[in-house]
Amino acid sequence: MENRWGKMLALMGLLLLNWVSNVSSLSVTVNEVECVYEYVLYEGDTVSGNFVVVDHDIFWSSDHPGIDFDVTSPGGNTVHSLKGTSGDKFEFKAPRSGMYKFCFHNPYSTPETVSFYIHVGHIPTEHDLAKDEHLDPINVKIAELREALESVTAEQKYLKARDARHRHTNESTRKRVIGYTVAEYIMLALASALQVVYIRRLFSKSVAYNRV
Amino acid sequence: MSKCKGMFRGGGSALVWPIILLLCLTSNFNRNILPVAEAIWLTIPSSGTKCVSEEIQNNVVVLADYYVIDENNPDHIPTVSARVTSPYGNNLHQNTNATHGQFAFTTSEAGNYLACFWKDGSHQQDAELTLGLDWRIGIAAKDWDSVAKKDKIEGVELVLRRLEGAVQAIHGNLIYLKDREAEMREVSERTNARVAWFSIMSLGVCIVVSLVQLWYLKRYFIKKKLI
Repeated sequence: MENRWGKMLALMGLLLLNWVSNVSSLSVTVNEVECVYEYVLYEGDTVSGNFVVVDHDIFWSSDHPGIDFDVTSPGGNTVHSLKGTSGDKFEFKAPRSGMYKFCFHNPYSTPETVSFYIHVGHIPTEHDLAKDEHLDPINVKIAELREALESVTAEQKYLKARDARHRHTNESTRKRVIGYTVAEYIMLALASALQVVYIRRLFSKSVAYNRV
Repeated sequence: MSKCKGMFRGGGSALVWPIILLLCLTSNFNRNILPVAEAIWLTIPSSGTKCVSEEIQNNVVVLADYYVIDENNPDHIPTVSARVTSPYGNNLHQNTNATHGQFAFTTSEAGNYLACFWKDGSHQQDAELTLGLDWRIGIAAKDWDSVAKKDKIEGVELVLRRLEGAVQAIHGNLIYLKDREAEMREVSERTNARVAWFSIMSLGVCIVVSLVQLWYLKRYFIKKKLI
């Protein structure tokens, strides 16, 4: 019995050491469509993630038109889709295992930089084991704890991406304030100088003597 | 693979070992036998480069692994070239004509790190290439196998250690976000003050310019004996 428990614990340990890991929040430039693939090992895994459009150089519209996002399962169905958004979180339960395709569509001509993060989370259940093995509740709890920590990490990555976009807007505002104000002063001085030159010309002798 | 060998030393039921073998094959140690859910796949276009980037802080370990995936042609796998650049333009890794490669570095400056991949000139077919990229930074890049070996811990204790590492990483990230927010708040407040100051100054500039205009025109008309 002890030998069996020890082997089962080692088996559980090995199962948990197969850390279904995630990638960092990478940024990719979307010209028209950009697809990223991620493999889901088990059916029923929760795939969660987020994406933020970081770099939008819209000149004077405060509303970003947004990009479209959709997830295609290995069977070809669209599992999840979001339209016209400049950043959002998503979560869905994978209907089957296999290679999932996450696509960003940019309907406009300006290329956008999208920062995304995808995580596949797995909680061990009875289905993963052989018929004569039993599920240790501590391993289920540890897996749930791990998933909770991953969701906190995912939220942090989302906040970091949104902060990057906010910083981009702030920098642009700062540059615009300085640039446009200096340009405004120069234009003002230039306009009044042109006014004076024009009035002088009106009063000059060559145009018509005392016609004004 | 060493864990798998240790398992095989004891006896056991006939069903356990194939399962363990399957787990060993799908685990992190043997990536080339079965691809596992550790990496994202990208498509490299037939012409042009595909770049991914990430904004990384200072003093963070970056570990990455890339490999070409080609199911159609297993004996003639196309090759890619890669280049990784730091935010100041230094070349951190350069590789040409490879089907797989890896790079590791510790960041010395905070900023945007760019990794670019492109198809090699020798394979100019129109087909797009699929590249698997396993990019890990910070706590995800830590080598837990060596920690387990050094401290002689395994199983549940090792998993809990990893969770503790994750919690510390979360704490570090929170402090980083807080500092970023403080910086940005400063910039916002400075811009706010500047907007007020520059608008009032613009009114001042307007008045000054019109006074100069009036003074100049009066002087001109007096000179021309029109007034």
